Amino acid sequence: MKAPLLEARDLARHYRVAQGFFKPKATVKALDGVSFKLEAGRTIAVVGESGCGKSTLARQLTLIEPPTSGALLLNGKAATATPEMRRQVQMVFQNPFASLNPRKSIAATLDEPLAINTRLSKAERREKIELLAAKVGLRSEHLRRYPHMFSGGQRQRIAIARAMILQPGVVVADEPTSALDVSIQAQILNLFMDLQVEYGTGYVFISHNLSVVEHVADEVMVMYLGRAVEVGDKKRIFAMPLHPYTKALMSATPALHAADRRERIRIHGELPSPLNPPMGCAFHKRCPLATKRCAEDAPLLREVDGRQVACHEV
Amino acid sequence: MSSLLRIRNLRVRFGNFPAVDGVDLDVEPGELLGIVGESGSGKSVTMLALMGLIDAPGVVTADALEFMGEDLLQVSPARRRQLIGRDIAMVFQDALSSLNPSYTVGAQIAEVLKIHLGLRGAALERRVIELLELVEIPDPVRRASAYPHQLSGGMNQRVMIAMAIACEPKLLIADEPTTALDVTIQAQIMDLLLKLQKERGMGLVMITHDLAVIAEMAQRVAVMYGGQLVELGAVPGLFERPRHPYTEALLAAIPEHNAGMKRLNALPGIVPGAYDRPQGCLLAPRCPHVQERCRREQPALVQGVRCFFPRGLS
Amino acid sequence: MDAKPLTPPASSAPSAPLSPLQEFWSGFCANRGALAALMVFALLALAALLAPWVAPHDPVQQFRSHMLQAPVWGDGGSSQFLLGTDELGRDMLSRLLHGGRISLGIGLASVLMSLLPGVILGLLAAFYQSTLSPAIMRVMDVMLALPGLLLAICVITVLGPGLVNTVIAIAIGALPGYTRLTRAAALAEIGRDYVTASRVAGAGTLRLMFSAVLPNCMAPLIVNATLSFSSAILETAGLGFLGLGVQAPTAEWGTMLSSARDYMERAPWVVTLPGLTILVSVLAVNLMGDGLRDALDPKLKKVS
Repeated sequence: MKAPLLEARDLARHYRVAQGFFKPKATVKALDGVSFKLEAGRTIAVVGESGCGKSTLARQLTLIEPPTSGALLLNGKAATATPEMRRQVQMVFQNPFASLNPRKSIAATLDEPLAINTRLSKAERREKIELLAAKVGLRSEHLRRYPHMFSGGQRQRIAIARAMILQPGVVVADEPTSALDVSIQAQILNLFMDLQVEYGTGYVFISHNLSVVEHVADEVMVMYLGRAVEVGDKKRIFAMPLHPYTKALMSATPALHAADRRERIRIHGELPSPLNPPMGCAFHKRCPLATKRCAEDAPLLREVDGRQVACHEV
Repeated sequence: MSSLLRIRNLRVRFGNFPAVDGVDLDVEPGELLGIVGESGSGKSVTMLALMGLIDAPGVVTADALEFMGEDLLQVSPARRRQLIGRDIAMVFQDALSSLNPSYTVGAQIAEVLKIHLGLRGAALERRVIELLELVEIPDPVRRASAYPHQLSGGMNQRVMIAMAIACEPKLLIADEPTTALDVTIQAQIMDLLLKLQKERGMGLVMITHDLAVIAEMAQRVAVMYGGQLVELGAVPGLFERPRHPYTEALLAAIPEHNAGMKRLNALPGIVPGAYDRPQGCLLAPRCPHVQERCRREQPALVQGVRCFFPRGLS
Repeated sequence: MDAKPLTPPASSAPSAPLSPLQEFWSGFCANRGALAALMVFALLALAALLAPWVAPHDPVQQFRSHMLQAPVWGDGGSSQFLLGTDELGRDMLSRLLHGGRISLGIGLASVLMSLLPGVILGLLAAFYQSTLSPAIMRVMDVMLALPGLLLAICVITVLGPGLVNTVIAIAIGALPGYTRLTRAAALAEIGRDYVTASRVAGAGTLRLMFSAVLPNCMAPLIVNATLSFSSAILETAGLGFLGLGVQAPTAEWGTMLSSARDYMERAPWVVTLPGLTILVSVLAVNLMGDGLRDALDPKLKKVS
């Protein structure tokens, strides 16, 4: 059986944080055991709020940082920060105003990955750049310009072109449309989908916008405080979410039509500090279904109704 | 009963660029009005002009800009300072950058109370704690001596709301108050705003680009495009039967309305900027139903729609 | 409604693409003071460069029959010595022109000698925060603890007076400033997404330092360079005045001031003219620096 394009096995990333002169260093478990599989041409959406570990996950997947424990496999092989592996995973960032070097022309920005990772001549690189620029909706004269002359949506197109120029197997998209208007978001999401059909790229799509997730994803992974709490097929999860946090997220998302609104599950309070996570299930202090067991025993992911859920009460 | 807010033909120009281009708006006491638009629509500038927060080189003109019958264009600076912050209050998008990082949140709320209500000493301290309780901040006594960077985004937003309602304003303007927040915190803040509005009978103007938030909260909604008001109507009617092609396109671009389809209905092009303002209707270059007349003449707002050929009519 | 194919978006930017350089130049030219200062400075630099051909006399040649002669507009002045002569009969104009070569030359040399190592040390400190940074910055702190001129005097005392050693002394004094500035600017940029994007594209540390980060740190560095140019001129004059810098009979504005001290009442032009030249040069460079800062900074903030 062919190995999946991208596989994460119990990925964990811990940071040691100084707490002051006399106190011992604390450990922040930014990522605490995340597993998933991604096939070519498919999209897995990572859903969660700030502090859930999705940015740390993005850094792990793009080989910027090594994991503290666990394994990351690309096409069945252990992923290390070598040029060959680097070519396989690229990233699109959230803020279109910060992800392009203000002092580089668009052509120079698109040229960089090619110059570093390939042996192509200048003319060959130029050809590739023009081809990809056209695919993302940019014209030839745009290549000479600088980022500050473009709108947010256009910059995101440039960022997507940069991510795709090495034809990576996997693209990690970190909230790529959160900073964009609705109509521009639609254009950019369409671009993502078109490129996926053409190149067969696998996407790890990080987003907190559940309506976007419902549109783009094939699989969904809901994260809370560094752990996956529900993982599975998108249709199943959206039709009937099982984990209380997933239910709360979905019910908190405002819906345009009254018919689509779910019964609001109000969760109180805020995310616990990652320096001091609660014992047992990380969510139990805010969970409407919490029992004594939840406070002592952290639940593991188990198969329920066609997906994985980490909860004692379902 | 006179309108709380009456705006007629408001124009804000920066050089030759009309950021707000002839806006008419009414807000009744106790009403929740939503103003919806994308970047460049002029929605924020409209309210900033109302508050007198537009500095040179911006030029603000209007046929009428009245708050509770008082003409805000003619009012003396001293009277304006009395009104703004006390009777009309505003909450901004990014609480962390809207709060002064060098003062505790308690001190900042106290400042509002000192200037507008002249409170001092024990009465001042009591009121600060009261306000923090009203906005549902847990452990208010301790939190009052915290600095903005020590609190989360949601907490800071609550502090901003506390400052805004401190003097029992008749009108509260909220400019994208939840855009920078996680979805569960967003839901909490929206509930809080609704609760406060109902308890106090305040008028609330909610500016956002998120149509779903308006659909859940507002009674009436104004849609803005390129500095103009293009549609005005009651919720949910406007969302079920949009009359202006822009409203229709905006709704069509939302993922919820494209369920099951690979591609979203994206309106091509971008909002006109300073250099490419059309002669006729501002949407003409992008409108899928454009006719000859639209390119030549600018339509006026007739029965709440600014269009020669509103949708839904034969 | 049918889904529409993706059409290329219209760009709202003006048709001629302005590189950051062109935009900076138009911003700079909008500042009248800075533009005037630039022209004055260009004039001074040109005069200094062409001194051997433009100066009417040899700067060290003594005309014994024309000692302390007034400038052409004063009593006893002649067109042979337009700005008069000094106490040893040397032509003031020629000495000022040649002195310009020294002062501006030292200014430029010392800036380069401190800028280049300073930038490299600053980048190293920013990229190797936990390993190299503490060592580098503590050394810089020690150097900053000594007042500028005092440090220069110490270096001269160790190395001996002269032109080259003056440059070294001034450069050492300016080094910590550049290191700190570069480190601060680089640290601010390292956390930005576009640097991470370059890392994800496979850029190594060297490429990150010089291709990604450094170009975005240039603004404060350029401004600081112009300002330290002007302080180099002053320091050179100061050292020359103290007899520690450039040695006689080489013409240098500071030494000219020093040797003319005794003649201030009898022949004020021997003191005033070099003093005025120093003033004008330093003012021109400072105004240019102000103009540079105004032209560069708002552009940095205007990234939208």
